[in-house]
Amino acid sequence: MKQSDPIFRLDGVTRRYGNLTALDSIDFTAEDNSYISLLGPSGSGKTSLLRVIAGFEAPDSGRIWFQGRDITDLPAHERGIGFVFQNFALFPHLTIFENVAFGLRNGAINPPEAEIIQRVKETIEMVGLTGLEDRNPDQISGGQKQRVALARSLVMQPKLVLLDEPLGALDANLRERMQTELRTIRERLDVTFLHVTGSETEALAMGDKVAVLDSGRIVQFGTPEEIYDAPIISDVALFLNRFNLFDGTLKDGVFHGAFGSVPVSGARANETDVYAIRYDRTQIFDTGSTDLPGPALPARYLASEYLGSSIVFLFETEDNKTVEVDHHLSLGEPRDLEVGRDYVLSWSPEQAIVFGKELAR
Amino acid sequence: MESKVLKPVLAVYAGLFILFLYGPFIVLGILSFQQGPEGGPQFPIIEWSTYWYKHLFGLTPPSRIAPLPVGEALVRSLTLAFMTMVTSTVLGVMAAQAFRKRFRGAGLVFYLIVLGMMVPGVLTGLGTSLLANNVVGIERHWWSTAFVAHVVYTFPFAFLVMLAILNRFDGSVEEASWSLGVSPITTFRKVTFPLIFPGVLSAMLFAFTLSFDEFPRTLFASGRDQTLPLAIYGTFSVEIHPNIFAFGVMTTLFSFALLSVYGILMALSVRRAKKIAMQEDIS
Repeated sequence: MKQSDPIFRLDGVTRRYGNLTALDSIDFTAEDNSYISLLGPSGSGKTSLLRVIAGFEAPDSGRIWFQGRDITDLPAHERGIGFVFQNFALFPHLTIFENVAFGLRNGAINPPEAEIIQRVKETIEMVGLTGLEDRNPDQISGGQKQRVALARSLVMQPKLVLLDEPLGALDANLRERMQTELRTIRERLDVTFLHVTGSETEALAMGDKVAVLDSGRIVQFGTPEEIYDAPIISDVALFLNRFNLFDGTLKDGVFHGAFGSVPVSGARANETDVYAIRYDRTQIFDTGSTDLPGPALPARYLASEYLGSSIVFLFETEDNKTVEVDHHLSLGEPRDLEVGRDYVLSWSPEQAIVFGKELAR
Repeated sequence: MESKVLKPVLAVYAGLFILFLYGPFIVLGILSFQQGPEGGPQFPIIEWSTYWYKHLFGLTPPSRIAPLPVGEALVRSLTLAFMTMVTSTVLGVMAAQAFRKRFRGAGLVFYLIVLGMMVPGVLTGLGTSLLANNVVGIERHWWSTAFVAHVVYTFPFAFLVMLAILNRFDGSVEEASWSLGVSPITTFRKVTFPLIFPGVLSAMLFAFTLSFDEFPRTLFASGRDQTLPLAIYGTFSVEIHPNIFAFGVMTTLFSFALLSVYGILMALSVRRAKKIAMQEDIS
């Protein structure tokens, strides 16, 4: 199959828990053989969406299509969709080998023993667990458990694997290594990964495509670059954790905010008027500077945070709003700042993204 | 300062606790070695002997004291306890499994089940016998009416044990199994059951022991043939001889054997339980 063929499709899928609408009429089409990140804050309904696709829960309305078939009413065990749990959910009473062999042994297709051994061995080797076959799940590390959970799904050769915050239980080091490995493993197989995460870095780093979920709706779906450079609404910008967002009013093509009034060339439709500028596009100037590239925002310097490749400076504006400035160290040494002193923050207006009720276009 | 007061108080408490827990059994054990057939169920021990144990198995020369009529009753009680154990445990597991999903009227059903252990036993027994004799019109037997009464009584215990176990059970292993293409029935057999097995053992132990020495319900519900507790009580009404104590020691030893089997099976599955606990810690 080509990458452009749809592997699964959601058609107005809605799921309610009492008065709470976890999924609000979601339409979504996923391409075959791709890595899709599903990014959303906690409570955005991302886990519900995964559970509905897997068949652990039924939607209140809407249809789910998988490989051209309506699977809405199919029980979970007849769907052939893999699932990797955040807590791994390994079978504690079985060895690693038997964990991986479980689906082959107990499922509907019952391959001969020789084939089971062959497939299990291959999969265990692919995820790099050779030598641990006879261990029990309590005798291996978190990262290894993650691999077992993955191998257990992949051995069934599913066309779609759902991963529910699979890296959430791992420490930072391991998380980065598993990110790369998950991508490599997926590329070797003809399978689509739908990876749910609450971490924007993870979502942007891993997905060929990223879907942003907010309050039970998919608000944006696109490549990581599209999402990063052009968040479609202010909630997405907020959630990406890369933008300073200022409330204000947009009127007749001019945005009035804490930094004064700035004429804007265009605005994206939004429920409120918000002015967004990326952390790494915000610059620091001394009070009284005259060569500002754009608007002037007076702010007091609070603290800095060293991140290895960059430094984040934290400022506080007059109305107690925290503003972050990200200085990448490849651009040269950062300037010395005095804690508690007032500075002026500025940026080139064309790099700002403006969201507004009024479309100044 | 605090411990100076607390420690002696706790020591006295522990002493009393042990006295009342083991005292009766120790007295019973000592008296079972009373001399026979003249020796009675009281101190002092005239002479230590194993007469009453021999008497129990009919190895003594005939005397004015009749052998205990417990042989058949013992077999009946064991059979009844086994039947009750199997039935109540199966029902308990199934009912508790049903309660994992909230369903309409769950609260009401819960209280209806638990009622079985709340109602006074004598009344249940009497009610069962009246129901059988006067309403349904069937004869009372230990294997029919008494069996039903026992199940009604022990089922709530098995149910509550399993409810507690399943409450702590992390359902994601079952979902993992389904997502691997394994049907819910096979999943229960291959995943759920092995993991809840320690709980099932406890439920079985509860049901068996409760049924084995059940008295008030059986009194009216069992009909002509007596179970062991009834048979023993029947001998009290004539005259108490130390042979009953010897029998008590024997049954207690039997109970210990049963507990050992339970302990061994439990130890085997405790390793599994530990693994579950470790997995839960991560989540």
